[in-house]
Amino acid sequence: MIRGVIVMNDRGKPRLVKFYEFQPAEKQQELIRSIYRVLCSRAENVSNFVKVDSLFGPDVRLVYKTYATLYFVFIFDSSENELAMLDLMQVFVEALDKCFSNVCEIDVVFNFNKVHTILDEFILGGQVLETNSSEVVKTVEEISKFFLPPQLCVCLISFRYSYGYDLLFYAGSRGLQIQSWAVHQFLAGSGDSIFIALVTSFITILC
Amino acid sequence: MEQLKTIGRELAMSSQGGFGQSKEFLDLIKSIGETRSKAEEDRIVLREIDTLKARLSSPNTPKFKLKEYLMRLIYVEMLGHDASFGYIHAVKMTHDESLSLKRTGYLAVTLFLNEDHDLIILIVNTIQKDLKSDNYLVVCAALNAVCRLINEETIPAVLPQVVELLGHQKEAVRKKAVMALHRFYQRSPGSVSHLISNFRKRLCDNDPGVMAASLCPLFDLIVIDVNSYKDLTVSFVNILKQVAERRLPKSYDYHQMPAPFIQIKLLKILSLLGNGDKKSSEQMYTILGDIIRKCDSDSNIGNAVLYECICCVSSIHPNPKLLESAADTISKFLKSDSHNLKYLGIDALGRLIRISPEIAEQHQLAVIDCLEDPDDTLKRKTFDLLYKMTKSSNVEVIVDRMIDYMISINDHHYKTEIASRCVELAEQFAPSNQWFIQTMNKVFEHAGDLVNPKVAHNLMRLIAEGFGEDDDTADSQLRSSAVESYLRIIGEPKLPSNFLQVICWVLGEYGTADGKYSASYITGKLCDATEAHSTDDTVKAYAVTALMKIYSFEIAAGRKVDMLPECQSLIEELLASSSTDLQQRAYELQAVICLDARAVENIMPMDANCEDIEIDKNLSFLDAYVQESLEKGAQPYIPEDVRSGLSNISNFRSQDHESSTHALRFEAYELPKPSVPSKVPSVLSSSAELVPITQPSYVAEVHQPASSALTVSSSGSSELKLRLEGVQKKWGRPAFSSTTPSPSSSDTFGSNNGTTQHESISSTKSKVHNVSYDSRKQQTEVSSEKKKLAASLFGGASKSDRKQSYSGQKVSKTNSHASDKSIIAEATSSSDTAAVRPTSQPPPDLLDLGEQTVTSSAPSVDPFKQLEGLLNLTQDTTNLSSSGVSMPDAPDLMSIYADMSSSSQSTTVAPPPNVTKAHLAKQPSKGSNVQEFLEKDALVRQVGVTPSGQNPNLFKDLLD
Repeated sequence: MIRGVIVMNDRGKPRLVKFYEFQPAEKQQELIRSIYRVLCSRAENVSNFVKVDSLFGPDVRLVYKTYATLYFVFIFDSSENELAMLDLMQVFVEALDKCFSNVCEIDVVFNFNKVHTILDEFILGGQVLETNSSEVVKTVEEISKFFLPPQLCVCLISFRYSYGYDLLFYAGSRGLQIQSWAVHQFLAGSGDSIFIALVTSFITILC
Repeated sequence: MEQLKTIGRELAMSSQGGFGQSKEFLDLIKSIGETRSKAEEDRIVLREIDTLKARLSSPNTPKFKLKEYLMRLIYVEMLGHDASFGYIHAVKMTHDESLSLKRTGYLAVTLFLNEDHDLIILIVNTIQKDLKSDNYLVVCAALNAVCRLINEETIPAVLPQVVELLGHQKEAVRKKAVMALHRFYQRSPGSVSHLISNFRKRLCDNDPGVMAASLCPLFDLIVIDVNSYKDLTVSFVNILKQVAERRLPKSYDYHQMPAPFIQIKLLKILSLLGNGDKKSSEQMYTILGDIIRKCDSDSNIGNAVLYECICCVSSIHPNPKLLESAADTISKFLKSDSHNLKYLGIDALGRLIRISPEIAEQHQLAVIDCLEDPDDTLKRKTFDLLYKMTKSSNVEVIVDRMIDYMISINDHHYKTEIASRCVELAEQFAPSNQWFIQTMNKVFEHAGDLVNPKVAHNLMRLIAEGFGEDDDTADSQLRSSAVESYLRIIGEPKLPSNFLQVICWVLGEYGTADGKYSASYITGKLCDATEAHSTDDTVKAYAVTALMKIYSFEIAAGRKVDMLPECQSLIEELLASSSTDLQQRAYELQAVICLDARAVENIMPMDANCEDIEIDKNLSFLDAYVQESLEKGAQPYIPEDVRSGLSNISNFRSQDHESSTHALRFEAYELPKPSVPSKVPSVLSSSAELVPITQPSYVAEVHQPASSALTVSSSGSSELKLRLEGVQKKWGRPAFSSTTPSPSSSDTFGSNNGTTQHESISSTKSKVHNVSYDSRKQQTEVSSEKKKLAASLFGGASKSDRKQSYSGQKVSKTNSHASDKSIIAEATSSSDTAAVRPTSQPPPDLLDLGEQTVTSSAPSVDPFKQLEGLLNLTQDTTNLSSSGVSMPDAPDLMSIYADMSSSSQSTTVAPPPNVTKAHLAKQPSKGSNVQEFLEKDALVRQVGVTPSGQNPNLFKDLLD
């Protein structure tokens, strides 16, 4: 079983921390620090595996890999294969790359809820659930349809108050539906040109 | 229009990635990223926490804003700050209708809360509702949360829905439902045991993803109970075949490999199913061969599958063809430049040599390369491998290497592991006593505080007993070489306490034995050592006892003792020590020195630490005293079970207490040992009056009067007696039982028992490790150092050696069997372990593995004859111990023992159990004859030599 996934930068700042067995906050910090210490002391061109039984108990291993400024770390026990974990990590990073188009540290830290969503599609309760990055990206896109940028929400809500239309209701289905709805409203004579322009600008942003 | 453009631009900036956050959050992240110090970061985060606190609790924050605050809260907690004030908001957000808010809420609670948190109860309802939702994404979100948040108590609340979801039309949901059920099984196997068949059913799911998901729980189930899943072997082999033949959809391919992750899981399962099962294994041979042949060894994942194949091949019933291809793969791994592959190669080699030891030889140079590799992980793995292939011919090289490495690292955990491995190997395979002592010295010097204290005890025992041969000169040589090396080492500035204890003991016992060193020289060294380690009371205690031994040997030999001034001052200092143990030792030392030669010789006979002491377990010498008391009108003793009438409950309770004393070590609450025994009655009577108002939980106070029942009655006061009985009835029971194992001696029980167990374990292990390696094809050209090393590691196992190790195996087998038996015997006497242990303790030298290797390597003697002898002896002891167990009046014995152990307030000394007995037995009547008592006590100490480490310190705490 996989015990945890940690993403941190090369200065030891955690960017994503997920333990599949609950660890209290202080313990988490301690583990992150000790893992960072171990990783720092590793030379280049050595294996990607570290034995961490002093931190997690007997037979627990860790696989790490650096991508640009980030350390990706998977911690797992003997029921997983080290090399396979390394590949799973690769698949995870590929998925991140697809979702953020050229992922970098700021994407991970700024959108860590999305990173969590992606990770949850790969690993559930410590077991590997999915190993295909395209499948994961598909699911995540489906979920993100339901996510809207906050500014858009502000506008939508202000619409609600100034025009009395509940745009939020349509927000989930994105572009086309909103547009067709807006055109419909315009044809029905209940909107004005500024309203149409606003909606169109949303659509350009969203699509 | 201008305005619109700016709005549009801002939107574009923040909507990046679709999960956009506000500029505030971006600023927070940036400012934290730019901080130079931890303090600066903390300041920023604390400010952020204040903002969040205010905003989260304000009632008119819009919901979408709340979501962002929650994200910021998660971020803050990830940085290590307390965010518990916001947990309730996270819980509230899970109730929201909108998926995005709900997901954020679930994410926050899964990260914040553990499954036993109070707030979980508020979420269970929402989860139940969401599991029934029409939107499968909501269901998935809820299942994610289920995996993390549901504990044993809440499983029944969501179980029906989860089971229903196993048949959901979306495969993503089915997959997650399988995982959730698996999670339930991990949390509490009992609550889902009736649903386990569902995992089998899901194995036949139309969707390969769901099938793959069901492999995870099945793997766990098979780990626990292989036999109930043997019938699935065919199915697993078929699935694996289909996967390998690319029958799965293309989307499961990864780097041109067909579904490698599924293959790996299946291979793991097969290796469990085929382990030690020839019939099942035969079904797997073809497919395993196919996979190994087809595997692409250029890609990472291909090698992962190959490695898994080797693991499987080495676990199932061996097949020569497969073993051969596995060995080929291993050599490919080891020759590769990639450290990852070398690591796997070493690991795989470690697995394969269990079956075909000869393949280690072809890879000797590669293994040695790995040993010298800068990569620490690889190095450790290689040491693991060497540990597995140690035998008597290469033990010296391997242990030396291990010690060198141990010295070079700082990691305490690993240092401990290596140290204990060195000790284990040295005990098992030591070629000579000299080497053994030197090795132990090195281990102690560099990792003395890390090794198990019983190792020190073993070492002392070994020096005391020799290697069990009847050759006295060899033993005394061993001792004098030990003394010599210790005198050299003792001057070093920083020595671990454990090691110093051994040194002190050996110097005290054998320092003057061979006449090479004068008493004053050794006592001077001892005094210097105590001065250098003045904070360590245990070492001081050992040193004082050593001094006492040396002086009494001197006196016994008729020489005049003139104490060095530093000794004098040391003793004076200890006479006023706050540790009662040290005080007592100092007083005893003073008393012993003033006695005449004959008395001293009785107290401290030369080299008598291995002699047995007879114990009067029935305490018959007290009979007269009891009779006298009864005649005077004392109440007769009523056995415990009769007294309370609730023997079952009290038994249960007493066991309960016993275990708690074991766990918590209440030593500190024992009575301090009064140095003048005649004081006892007065002290007790005063404390007896205290009892009725004392808290029953305060063990020391409570057991005091109970224990004094015997001793006090002579003081005559009938009023006092009456009270005591009252007390005894009310409080006596738990007190009796709770003190049953007097903590100091229970300590020794533990370690004794531990020793036997350890030995039996290591001897069974030796069966595994003792595999000898043939070296027929050993290369002749030995030029480089490396090759030499290789030869010493892998070669040198001649035919005779092979035979020897075989006999060694035999011996160890029987030994382990015998010791197992005795352990079982001990286990059966669960109700009165304390009473029985002393008898069932097997003679240590029989089980001593060091000795065993020696006997087996004595070539002139027929090993089987020896074996016979050993066997008989062991059986004798086993019989003895079992007869001890079956004694019908064991509980009675126990109660007497309990009385005695509590009445003698011997908290400070921790001799072996049988010795305690002698000691205890003596004490009640000791008032009249101090000298006799001292003699006995000294003998006890000489044999036991274990001043308990914790006691003095604990007392110090109390007294301060």
